[in-house]
Amino acid sequence: MNSRRILTLALRVIQQVLRDRRTVALIVFAPLLILTLGAILFRAKPAAIPLGVVNEDQGITSPVGGTINLGQRIADELAVGDTFAVVVLSRNEVDDSLSDGSLQGAIVFPEDFTAQFLKDRQAVLDLRLEGSNPARSMAISAQVTQAAMRTLAGLAGMAMGAAPSAQAGEGKLPVTLQATYLFGGEEFDTMDYVAPVYVAFLAMFFVFLLACVAFLRERSQGTMERLAATPATRAEIVLGYMLGLGLFAVIQVTVILFFTVWVLGIHHLGSLGLMLLVIVLLAIVGVDMGILASAFARNEFQVLQFIPLVIIPQVLLAGTFFAVPDLPAYLRPFAYFMPLYYANQALRDVMLKGWGLAEIWPNLAILAGFIGVLVVLSALMMRREVA
Amino acid sequence: MANGSIVETTDLRKHFGAIYAVDGVNLSVRRGEIYGLLGPNGSGKTTLIRLLLGLLRPTSGTIRLLGEAVPNKAILGQVGYMTQTSALYEELNVRENVAFFAEMCGRRDRAWMDEVIDLVDLRDRSGSPVRTLSGGLRQRTSLACALAHRPGLLLLDEPTVGVDPQLRATFWTYFRRLAGSGVTLIVSSHVMEEAERCDRLGFMRQGKMLAEGTAAELRCQKGASTLEEAFLQFAAAGTEGGSL
Repeated sequence: MNSRRILTLALRVIQQVLRDRRTVALIVFAPLLILTLGAILFRAKPAAIPLGVVNEDQGITSPVGGTINLGQRIADELAVGDTFAVVVLSRNEVDDSLSDGSLQGAIVFPEDFTAQFLKDRQAVLDLRLEGSNPARSMAISAQVTQAAMRTLAGLAGMAMGAAPSAQAGEGKLPVTLQATYLFGGEEFDTMDYVAPVYVAFLAMFFVFLLACVAFLRERSQGTMERLAATPATRAEIVLGYMLGLGLFAVIQVTVILFFTVWVLGIHHLGSLGLMLLVIVLLAIVGVDMGILASAFARNEFQVLQFIPLVIIPQVLLAGTFFAVPDLPAYLRPFAYFMPLYYANQALRDVMLKGWGLAEIWPNLAILAGFIGVLVVLSALMMRREVA
Repeated sequence: MANGSIVETTDLRKHFGAIYAVDGVNLSVRRGEIYGLLGPNGSGKTTLIRLLLGLLRPTSGTIRLLGEAVPNKAILGQVGYMTQTSALYEELNVRENVAFFAEMCGRRDRAWMDEVIDLVDLRDRSGSPVRTLSGGLRQRTSLACALAHRPGLLLLDEPTVGVDPQLRATFWTYFRRLAGSGVTLIVSSHVMEEAERCDRLGFMRQGKMLAEGTAAELRCQKGASTLEEAFLQFAAAGTEGGSL
């Protein structure tokens, strides 16, 4: 092992990348763009859902005077807040409005809605949904049910003979939530949960591509053959690349992290330095994965083919967006073979729980282990071209 | 280094499945000699050179380079290798490429680098990125990279492909000067006129060494007027009437 040769190689790699301005810009700015878009989308208040109301309810005459129209009360409750944009329409317009997309759902109150409720003490809500987006359908169903429950709660005793109060519409649910947070708090949003791992993933992804293409070029332009005919060993070549590209990883991760914390205002309870360390370790894993993967690619297009094979499964299975304990049991073991899983854990522990090195070191040790294994494997794979 | 042999192989074989790329070659090249490997494409010249460098593991047989058994990473610091295609870093300029390979071989001698760049007549272009260079200029840069660390042994795989006749003459003048200073050269080629300039020649075909000797000896043996004719006759004899 000759450190001078490793350094020479690293400097050459740095020089090469710096000559390619567009790639440098891509590595630094593309993650910022993606993060910014993510922050905007995760934090954006969803637009009000257009919901139709067909109210044919005749109501009943109250014993204390006036009419009680429960259909109208529920419709008013739905209009409170900005969840729904309520549109009043007639029964025969519903299907057309749902199919042309101007409404996502419509609730129909029949003539005898109030009367039937008072008789059965049970409301049946006739909700019609556009239905192509299941998540949205579920959200509409839940919100409509809640609004109806809030409206009808105050009327619970009515059928038993008590006069409905004039303020029945503002009836209270019998449950009040008082939550306390061990970690995080009400001010934490989804972006705070996703951001740490998002940053880690982006750092890993871009250096993976960079390393894979750089190493592939070394072979395709024939310089690997030439390098093999110098005293440089395979391990020196891999380490040289790791050192050179590692520098870009450090710069990239620093920029992304500071941008995330100061511009996007992501909450972090633990030390920034420790977060940097975790992500840089993961980025170096990315470099080594790229070098190893390049051995299996013959051209740049085949490098792109690694994205669905190597990168996307890590995003899906390593707890980036879907928590690992929620995965089906037969998929969970895969997460334990993914470096991103350990980085995700360590980062969330530091950012969201404020944990320190004493708590997260096992994850760091595993990441270091990945680096070691990948370096050895990469060097072994080079045997095919470098004797 | 017994009998002053810089390169010595005994019954060297390299088989890729059913293809016998190198098939029982005994090579002995002396210090300061220019040895020409001559043969058509696919005759095993490149495989032989790669075997000598330790880039391939022989199926059988032994290799000694500069007195050491191959593979041996350390002796590669004294060997210059010019690949068939000009393998260079496109983003780096001429000087950076030369400096990089010199450094990887453990040598950085600015004065020598200048001399090498002058030799290939690239002083004016030494700051140009390789990707902006034409084929001939790349080939020259590639030679400069092979010479950058002042090797005692040069293995040049078709060094004059794509080089214009004038520069080719310059290359050969320089090869001769290097040999005069004790550098050993093995040069592969399929251009017969180039072969005349070598001290000794080896005719290769289908992985076998058909004949060895000086250009004059080889012509005489078959009573041929040109090397090309001699080669064809050796080839015909080697396969008992088979075609080349």
